[in-house]
Amino acid sequence: MKRFGLALLLTLLVLGLAGNAFAQGATLEKIKNSGVFTVGVRNGSPPFSFINKQNERAGFSNDLAALVHKGIEEKVGKQIKMEMKESSPATRIPLLTSMSVDLITETMTDTRARRDSIDFSLTFFMTGADFIVKKGSPIKGAKDIAGKRIGTQQGSTNERILREKYSKAELVTLPDQAAAFMALQQGKLDAYCNDAIQLWGLKYKSATPDQWEVVGDWISYEPYGMAMRKNDSDFRAAVNNALMEAIEGGEYFKLYEKWFGPKSDVPYPMSQAFKTFLLSQVVPK
Amino acid sequence: MFGFLGMTYEFKWSVLWAQPHLTWLINGVLTSLRLALISWCIAVLLGIIFGAMRTAPFRPIRAIATCYVEFFRNVPLLVWLFFWYFGAPEVFPEVIRQWFIRHGIEFWSAVAAISVYHGSRFAEVIRAGIQAIPKTQLEAGLSSGLSVFETYRLIIIPIALRLIVPPATNESLNLLKNTSLAMTIGVAELTFAARQIETYTAKAVEALTSAAFIYLVLCLSISSVMNWIEAKFAIPGLIARGTRAEH
Repeated sequence: MKRFGLALLLTLLVLGLAGNAFAQGATLEKIKNSGVFTVGVRNGSPPFSFINKQNERAGFSNDLAALVHKGIEEKVGKQIKMEMKESSPATRIPLLTSMSVDLITETMTDTRARRDSIDFSLTFFMTGADFIVKKGSPIKGAKDIAGKRIGTQQGSTNERILREKYSKAELVTLPDQAAAFMALQQGKLDAYCNDAIQLWGLKYKSATPDQWEVVGDWISYEPYGMAMRKNDSDFRAAVNNALMEAIEGGEYFKLYEKWFGPKSDVPYPMSQAFKTFLLSQVVPK
Repeated sequence: MFGFLGMTYEFKWSVLWAQPHLTWLINGVLTSLRLALISWCIAVLLGIIFGAMRTAPFRPIRAIATCYVEFFRNVPLLVWLFFWYFGAPEVFPEVIRQWFIRHGIEFWSAVAAISVYHGSRFAEVIRAGIQAIPKTQLEAGLSSGLSVFETYRLIIIPIALRLIVPPATNESLNLLKNTSLAMTIGVAELTFAARQIETYTAKAVEALTSAAFIYLVLCLSISSVMNWIEAKFAIPGLIARGTRAEH
């Protein structure tokens, strides 16, 4: 037992030293020296970041990360290998701060609270919380949910907003999307609340897409950004420049068409407001 | 604290009594207790019935009870929770189903899952208690003119219940702790409340420590009550307590 304790202490010390050896900042330097650019992605968040039927990593965010990868190669002037690592809401901030990954893409909402510990790129996708209901349901938006059974996901931002702003609704908090949708299908819920884009994904993946309607006009605002370590403006500029070039040069819109266009699995037309917003994030050269 | 890991964690225990967190915790404890108490009563009842049936001197009755015990104790409780929430209500007539949906279906599904699962485990505890009683007791009861049912009700079960207090305490504590699984079907019990505080405040250590501490206090109170019951209802001379076996 004593020896185990000693071993544990040593491990912690080594970890602590290793952690301190890489000081914050200079991510570009690290990528240049190691020749590896590590990105945190997801296994199961289609269409942003997931493992597809061919067992390959794919998704809108992954493709954007590849564009950033190209931008970084140009910036450091040599070939860099891109590696992808699984991340999750619980692990993504520690993965960044421990230097295990250099960039988180996937579906992370940029918030002021999160900006206390990490930095975000410009906004590459915008969504908000809506409700999915059975076709013909009297629920047309947040104003109709008082006294109704509304499903949410445990620990989500949507759950918090419903609890704080719509306290008259009867909240049913379930562990994941699959459980919530099952409960909705069985009539145990009157509506299920999540980010609109995820609800559209649910609708199209269900056996009977025509039976479901996504309603409401965003009770929350969820801008997705790429996350990186704090206080590294060179790296942040490199990421942002790559995104701006993708928006300006049209690659961004091609990727949008690929993942959210009419022929995709989750058709989600881009609103004019979002398009204007995207373009106005591109600052002049 | 933990500064040498390159991380700094600032403890902030006050999140536990800041509102609305305290209300969540209190409601969580009350829901856990209500869930545990109702489930416990049903589980003990089922346990006594099926435990007694498993020792009955009539084979079909034993077979029914064995089926119940083996079927319910050999499937994980988590699976039963999903079954009673997503599966079982679907076979009821629409009117009853709607009534349940409007009256806390999550809670009652959890009650059904926990009580039926733990009922099968209580049945085994009670069977062990009954089988520890010498066969001569049953024979004596029968020869004094009691029916089988009366012998069980008046002699066998009262003694068995006393014998099984320690293992039954164990089962009761398990039942209380297993109520935490009900959060997976959306019952806002104690663990649910702690997780909710964690998501709102990012203070995982404080939130989960509070849940752990409350479970500990609840379990210790139950075991002391059970010890008191054991001492209070002991039949003098029936069971040797604290004395060394004579060999």
